[in-house]
Order: sequence, then structure tokens, then C-alpha cells
Amino acid sequence: MQLKLAILLLAVSSPAFADDHAEASTQVFEEKRAGDKGGLTVIHPAVDLGTDIGRYTTLEAGYSADAVSGATATTYQVDAVSSATSFSDLRQEGTLGLGFHGRRSSLMITGGFGTERDYLSHSIGGVASIDLPGRNTTVALAYGHSWDEVCDHDNGMAMPLERHALIGAEPCLKSGGFFGQDKPGTTIWHDLSIDNAQATITQNLSPTMNLQVALWGEILNGFQSNPYRRVKVGGNSPQEHVPNERARWSITARFNRFLPAQHGAVHFGARFYDDTWRVVGGDVELGYSQYIGNSLLVNFRARAYQQSAAKFFKDAFFYETESTAGEYYTGDRELSPVRSALLGAKLTLISVAGDKPVWHLFDKLQFNVKGDVLILGQIAADSTLDNPMGIDKQFLYGNGLLDAVILQLGLLGNY
Amino acid sequence: MDWRFFSKLIVVIALSGCGRQAVRASEKQFLADQVMVFDNDPHETAADDHVMENREGAAGGHGAGGGGCGCN
Repeated sequence: MQLKLAILLLAVSSPAFADDHAEASTQVFEEKRAGDKGGLTVIHPAVDLGTDIGRYTTLEAGYSADAVSGATATTYQVDAVSSATSFSDLRQEGTLGLGFHGRRSSLMITGGFGTERDYLSHSIGGVASIDLPGRNTTVALAYGHSWDEVCDHDNGMAMPLERHALIGAEPCLKSGGFFGQDKPGTTIWHDLSIDNAQATITQNLSPTMNLQVALWGEILNGFQSNPYRRVKVGGNSPQEHVPNERARWSITARFNRFLPAQHGAVHFGARFYDDTWRVVGGDVELGYSQYIGNSLLVNFRARAYQQSAAKFFKDAFFYETESTAGEYYTGDRELSPVRSALLGAKLTLISVAGDKPVWHLFDKLQFNVKGDVLILGQIAADSTLDNPMGIDKQFLYGNGLLDAVILQLGLLGNY
Repeated sequence: MDWRFFSKLIVVIALSGCGRQAVRASEKQFLADQVMVFDNDPHETAADDHVMENREGAAGGHGAGGGGCGCN
């Protein structure tokens, strides 16, 4: 269900490599699950290749996958733990990009395709950047569009409160593997159109300081509910129902300061986010990079994040006892009020070619290992005094301090 | 300080550094270092954003890569 983001990210943020490169990495994400339901595990291998095919042209190709397994809550209710079911899925995506590089400018055009059992994504995007005179200011503009399809139970003309959720046993047929194929009476495919754009200014402030400001916006139009999720409303458990339209925007500022005496650098970032579902959020990130000798780089970072709830989100107890908030109802934790923190460290081993290439091929080779821990705190969306059940069991997540861990191994070579 | 004032302040600071003489080419040794390049590891950035998008409703728009020496 999240291929749209991964592919659009590639479309709008592909950096401009001016030389041949290869990168391979694997990330393992492990999230706790409450009620002895095991954890959610995602293994995310990725590989990218880029090669010059002329003086000004670069060809890029990428592949990544998500092997997902774990337990999920199919019904949003006071006790989500008891309604957990196990599942596994494989998401795959591929991208192709063509880049054009001038002395001060670059243009990268990217196309992508992603597939999983219940989701298909076709995307195109482009990033253009130019260094202004003096080469202290870089302006980049990016745009991406995605034609996505989401598999769902065929509910015909049923009203929202009468709709049934998709179940894993129902087939999601594909035509040629690239397009959804309806099976009337059983499953259908909904369209989801996504447009996003971003403008970025990167500015050198001094010989040791630079700053980046990015303005981003996205418009989604189409089916955005989780087709599997049900919400307990009164005595019924209809499929989750959220609006078809959503417009989102954010502004981000990031700052780097090199410390020559320490041979390190400090990093700071802040972001503000708002959307038409009234989710308002932001994060602040601090980082520090330190070279140890010439071939070892250590990076530490800390991030704090908080968001408000969508305007139609209610704690599960109130959906059960008071019905919906207008037309819509959801059990998506991403639409609930939540705060989280991240602490991470990364170690990079850097080998730069001397008289001979590294491993007989690379001008520069980097091996890195990274670990992050994530801490999560749920916040009540509605009055806690009127909610005798509390919010502890309405999501299927761990209620300890440590919510998830991320480990990543990566190899990046330039040749 | 509300967010509108904060965002305007950032833009003003950014634009105030523009110009040919902000940093000379001979002074970009540190700016060219990989730790000064935003999103210098594309896989790490993409994977991090992928995780956050699956956990946070306010994900998206963390910025583009580049920066550092200002040399496309």
C-alpha cells in the first residue's frame, strides 16, 4: 500500500550523480506487537546502478523490495489485539531514469513501476536543478505523477456503513501483471492519482555552512482507505472510510556546519506539515558527524516528531459508543495524534583509490552499517475522562518504551 | 513565533547568502565534503522516508539531495 511513496520519492529526490555508481543495501525493520502477537518485520533490499552513456547523459536503474510479515489488526476497536491476524506480502518496484548534465545544470527523468498483491503503481517524474552564478545557490524543481490502483472487495453501490472489507483469501487479479483486472462480484480495483511537486533552494552561507529550504506539496485523488481495515461503529464493523481527496504540504529547513578543528560537522533540520484532513505535524532533527582518521566516519542523530489527529479520527471507544465523525471513520494510526522519537548511529568505512582502484574497479567505496531505535507515544484524541477503556489497546502496537528498531547495511561504490 | 514567521525568516536568511562572493571556489574544501551534502546516501534517505511514511501521517517533503560545494 505504500509503493506510491517509495516510487514518488525516487521521482522527486533522485540526486544527480555525475559519475558511474553502484549501490546495494538491505534494511531490516522490526516493530513490536502487543498481546504476544509477534512483531512486524520488513526486509528491504535495494540496488541501484548508474552509468554515463555519453558526455552529458546518465542512465539509472533501480530495484527494491519489501518482504513484510507479521500481525495486523483488521478491526479498529477497543481491543485490537484480540482481532489480530497474521499476514505476509512481497512488494517489488523498479525504476529507470535518464539524466542530462550540463556544466551548471542537470535534468533527471524517471519512470517507475511497483507491484504487490493488492496495489499497483505506475509513475513518472522529473527533477531539474541549476547552480546560479557563483555556484553558491542551487535551485531544484521536481514533479512526480503516479497512476495507482488499489484492490478492494466489490461492494457495488453499498453505502459506506454497509461496505465489507477485503480479505486475504479474495483474489486481486492483474492483467499482464501491470494493470488491475476486476472480478465483478468479488474484487475490483480503485484508481488513485497522486501529483507532487517540490522546490528546493540550497545555499552556501560560508566556507563551512550551508542551508537548504524545501517546499513540498502533494494532491491525492482516489481510494485511500486501507481495504482490509474495519472500524467498529456501534454494533457493526464496516470497512474504513476516508475522503477521496487530500492535499498536503510541508516546508523543511536543513542546516550543516563543518567543524574543521574537530574534522566533523553538525546538522540541524526542522519541518512543518499541514494537510486538508487537518493533520498538522512537525519534526526536529539534530545530527553530528565525526571523522576518525581518513577512512572512518561516525554519524549520530536524534529526531523528535509529533502530529495531531485527522479531523474525522476518533478514539475507538467513541466510534463504538457515539458512531462516526460525520461521514468518515478510520482506524489508521497514521491519522491519530502521536509523538515519536528516533535515536540512531551510523558507521561508514571509506576507501578511496590511490594508485590502483579499490577492488580493481572503484574510485571510492563506502561500506556502512546503521542502527536506529524508535520510541512511540500515543496521545488520546478525545476526552480521557469520558473514555473508561483508555487507548492502550486500540492499536496493535507495543506499549513499551521501545517501539521499533532499524538495522541497515549498505555498500556504495563510485567508479 | 508562529510557523509563518518562521518560514519567512528561513527564506530571508537563505536569500541573504546569495551572490557570487558568498563563498569563493577556492574556499569550498569543507563544503565539498560528503558530510556537508544533504542526503549523501540516497538509499538511506529513501529507506528512512519509506519507514516514516508507514508510521507517520505527516510524512513527506524532506527536501532534495545536493548541496555541498554547489556543483551540479
